[in-house]
Amino acid sequence: MTKRKMFIRMITASLTRRRSRMLVALLAIAVGATILSGLVTIYYDVPRQMGAQFRNYGANMIFTSAESDKDFSRDNIEEAAAVISSGDMVGMTPYRYETVRIHEQPIVAAGMDVEGAKITSPYWHVEGEWPSSPNEALVGEEVAALLGLSTGDTFNALYTPREDEETEEDVLNMGVDMTVSGILNTGGSEEEYVYMSMEDLESIVGGDPRFDLVELSVSASQEKLTSYVDTISGGDFGVSAKLVKRVTQSESTVLTKLQALVFLVTAVVLILTMICVATTMTAVVTERRKEIGLRKALGASDKSIIKEFMGEGLLLGGIGGIIGAVLGFLLAQFVSTRVFSSSIAFQPLILPATIIISILVTGISCFLPVRSAIEVDPALVLKGE
Amino acid sequence: MSLLELKNITKRYGNLKALDNVNLKVEQGEWVAIMGPSGSGKSTLMNIIGCMDKPTEGEVLLDGADIAKVSDKELTAIRRDKIGLVFQQFHLVNYLTALENVMVSQYYHSIPDEEEALMALERVGLKDRAKHLPSQLSGGEQQRVCIARALINHPEIILADEPTGNLDEANENIVLDIFRQLHKEGATLVVVTHDPEVGEIAERLIILEHGVIKSETKSSAADDAVIK
Repeated sequence: MTKRKMFIRMITASLTRRRSRMLVALLAIAVGATILSGLVTIYYDVPRQMGAQFRNYGANMIFTSAESDKDFSRDNIEEAAAVISSGDMVGMTPYRYETVRIHEQPIVAAGMDVEGAKITSPYWHVEGEWPSSPNEALVGEEVAALLGLSTGDTFNALYTPREDEETEEDVLNMGVDMTVSGILNTGGSEEEYVYMSMEDLESIVGGDPRFDLVELSVSASQEKLTSYVDTISGGDFGVSAKLVKRVTQSESTVLTKLQALVFLVTAVVLILTMICVATTMTAVVTERRKEIGLRKALGASDKSIIKEFMGEGLLLGGIGGIIGAVLGFLLAQFVSTRVFSSSIAFQPLILPATIIISILVTGISCFLPVRSAIEVDPALVLKGE
Repeated sequence: MSLLELKNITKRYGNLKALDNVNLKVEQGEWVAIMGPSGSGKSTLMNIIGCMDKPTEGEVLLDGADIAKVSDKELTAIRRDKIGLVFQQFHLVNYLTALENVMVSQYYHSIPDEEEALMALERVGLKDRAKHLPSQLSGGEQQRVCIARALINHPEIILADEPTGNLDEANENIVLDIFRQLHKEGATLVVVTHDPEVGEIAERLIILEHGVIKSETKSSAADDAVIK
């Protein structure tokens, strides 16, 4: 039998036949590695997760016409929107605003892409239904109160053209009958409008399609958003892009604070874990002082004893690291599902990093007590008791 | 030239003289017992003979080389190559089998050889217990594994510290029979003991008191015992 085989035989015997002791040590390492890899996974995934969460607060970018007196077309919008990578684009809704007369009152009617608005304005609270068929409208709460409208009621919307505008007679005279599909409650200025599909608004006001504003929801970092805005506004799209500062800045602030918090927690937990692993390994080594003394008495060199104990420690660290890396990902997945209601992205680098850190921490935790244990005088350890 | 020669050995712990100008020679193949009350310096003497400690003054010549002057590292190498230790508490590695415990000694000495280790166990009558862990062995069996481990590297001296101190009479006899056999085969034995019976069967009995050799008696009991 070679020395190497005997070395492996001794190490595996120590791990397998001292099961309860080794399980305690393995547990400490695995738990440490689990928490470490879990928290680091969450730390790296927080921006993505929070970005998705923040998109619930509505659009964070708007497009308007580059020249204030000129409308912009669907082509302008689509070209400009193509600058934003499809992965970052959450949703986009064009709006057109026109003043119409309802029950003899001038009211602002907004034409929109209904499906797009559901994505870019997820915080809108609709009592009833979103418009789903022609001639249905979502009436802002204030408008509904003013006109005494509730879900299911019908109203006539009549277009009042601007003085310089030529309008077809029938549109002017007849108006269009609309049904209230739902009442919109946002707590904001949206409650002063009546929303309908772009097609319905066009049928009320007639004339060519045009757009006043596009709301976009883009999931990207502050820097990336700024670069998108600069590219679009600087390009020849006939579109001026702006960030909704209120949303993007608070997003960035909250994200920075949250990441700092997770980082701090990770660091503290890592230190505590290292102390825990170190304490466990120290206990495991210390209770084997007698064995170390015996091995010395049998003629083992200090180097040889360090090699054996480190071999055990590193093997244990490796196994604990592998268990921890896997459990850590599951932990992160669990937390992510519970807190963010979405699955976490697998970070391939965290796996080897966790294993290496486990091995290092366990190695250091073993090395220090082993180094002090080999100072032991074999005669003293073996005598007595 | 004697195998082991202690010349004017003094060992001090602070102001306390554990050994005071001790002179002792052990010849090749000799069986020497060292007896004495607690605090007489037995353990100190044993540690010095066993290359686990160095004297404050004096020379310790093992095979002609003075081990009082070597470094700790060299002392470890000498212990590994020339001394076989038998302990009162057996001191087996509890997670290794009897066979593996014997092989550990080979591992540090040279190359582990399972066949040879098995033969050493056979010699102490434990071949069929080779795969047992120490916890599965009786005290006497554990001591025999300890002896097999001490023998495996063919040491110059087998140094036993109270080898029968933890054994019942039946096992004590088994162990002493193994010692007689070893002695007959030419092994050099140094046995430190409290037990007069164990002391008296040695060829030479040294009584230590207050760090000095009080008496030295020769007997032929060892050989008689084997003949018996």
